[in-house]
Amino acid sequence: MRRRRLPLAGLGIVLALAVLTVLAPALPLGSPTDIAKDLALRGPTVTEPFGMDDLGRSILSRVVYAYRISLGVAVTAAVLAVLIGAPLGLVAGYCEGLADQLIMRPLDVLMAFPAVLLAIALMSVFGTGAVLLSVALAIVYTPVMARVARAAVLATKVEVYVDGARALGATMPRLVLTHIAPNAATPMLVQTSVLMAIGILIEAALSFLGVGVRPPTPSLGLMLADGRGFMLQAPWMVVFPGLAVMLAVLGFNMLADGLRDWLDPQAPAGR
Amino acid sequence: MSSPWTFAARRLLLAAPLLLGMSILVFGLMRLVPGDPAVVVLGYKATPEGVRALREAFHLDEPVAQQYLRWLAGVLRGDFGLDFRQNEPIGRMILERLPVTLELTLLATLCTALLGIPLGLVGGARRHGFADRATLAIGLVGVSIPDFWLGIMLMLGLSLGAGLLPSGGFVPLGEAPLDNLLHLVLPALTLALSRAAVLGRLSRAAVLDVVQRGFVQFARAKGLAERAILFRHVLPNAAIPIVTVLGLQIGYMLGGAIVVEMIFTLPGVGRLTLDAVLERNYPVVQSTVLVIGAMFMLVNLATDIVYGLIDPRVRRR
Repeated sequence: MRRRRLPLAGLGIVLALAVLTVLAPALPLGSPTDIAKDLALRGPTVTEPFGMDDLGRSILSRVVYAYRISLGVAVTAAVLAVLIGAPLGLVAGYCEGLADQLIMRPLDVLMAFPAVLLAIALMSVFGTGAVLLSVALAIVYTPVMARVARAAVLATKVEVYVDGARALGATMPRLVLTHIAPNAATPMLVQTSVLMAIGILIEAALSFLGVGVRPPTPSLGLMLADGRGFMLQAPWMVVFPGLAVMLAVLGFNMLADGLRDWLDPQAPAGR
Repeated sequence: MSSPWTFAARRLLLAAPLLLGMSILVFGLMRLVPGDPAVVVLGYKATPEGVRALREAFHLDEPVAQQYLRWLAGVLRGDFGLDFRQNEPIGRMILERLPVTLELTLLATLCTALLGIPLGLVGGARRHGFADRATLAIGLVGVSIPDFWLGIMLMLGLSLGAGLLPSGGFVPLGEAPLDNLLHLVLPALTLALSRAAVLGRLSRAAVLDVVQRGFVQFARAKGLAERAILFRHVLPNAAIPIVTVLGLQIGYMLGGAIVVEMIFTLPGVGRLTLDAVLERNYPVVQSTVLVIGAMFMLVNLATDIVYGLIDPRVRRR
């Protein structure tokens, strides 16, 4: 029973953040962009529990709106990576041989760079912005997704029931799509949750470094970069955006752990 | 099964096309920059003559394939060309900054091992105990902490707040060894803490795996002390996966170093890369990304080979 609590908490965090970002405009929050010079650097109060930034903007409101960008970028990148990576991995795993080599070797090259470095290099060419950042992250993730899909296909296609379907005259697309691909769905779902966590981290890191989301857009990384200059007078400017990143990442990591345990009955428990 | 040395040689041979692919990717990527690089570099000061001179100096009028081969031939000789801004040899810029990044990575690896492995041992040895749950919790929270935020918090608490350590900057090891170490404590810890959390979690899993084996139960049955069982029977057998994960983490630290060097104003290769990206100094970006990427790949390769040499089962793959 205890084993189920952690993943459920993860799911709870993820759902709560999703609802929060969708409903943000309807919530009784201050504006994330309105400047109020007289409130600049005011500490946390009952009405503004996260305090105000150097321009008198509500940090709570900015964190909520920044989550929209953060989750938006992470979801878009993960979905794009699945859409591109899964077909590549399915074909590579099913055909093997030359097709496998032609698909996987170039993807190995992408995997040979540290993720953050590759994302920075891509952004140096693309320029800044949330959409471009999603595309850059999708490129970084695609090889991961392709590998996961390929591994699942390689493990599944030797199963007797696949041979059975083939003997009954199932065509190649039918074999792959209805008999093999569903087995790739589970590991890809787990991987998506992991990539959501990493995506939120990389979005924040790149925006913090000035190569991610562009300034007027509220982003957790940008808020941390702004807050650095005021961290002695107004530590809340760096504390809360950082905790916000951590909470979201923790939620997706806990969810990924839980999905792995639930969906893979053969995995040893509690690892 | 192949002999250890043919295994190592085959892995090394596979690395060559990968490195070639990486160089093509990096070079190609930088050619995708919209607009004329010469105009981008010269900015508003661009005159037709200036642009023409720059294009000539950097061979930008040659066919792309020829530019690539010229660059690759240079790289193989250790000559990365000149940068667009200061006309300095890029190879020298990288060489000057490499020791900082390497020292940081080395210290962070040491911290990771010293924090992560004991955490895993304590957790794995007593399953479901308090220490075990603490290991799991630290592992989960540790991987979720953004390292750039951790760096800021450590800086805020230990250097700006308590005044214990310098908050940034760098002193060369040769000039003042103690000062050098003091300046690297916070950056190394920043880089190490989340990796130590991961290593702790995986060490715990490795220890749990070994503890269940027959020979450990036998050692316990014949009355060996728990401590002796842990150090003589469990640790040597759990060491292979632990060392492998540590090796892979050295690679990831090379990526993380970019962020940490920026926060703590360390003049390393990561900082050089980021500055070059922000200044649109593409020749420098191209070279540093290739150098860091190649180091990452080679560290992973070395880990892979060492793993294969220690554990004959891996070589069968």
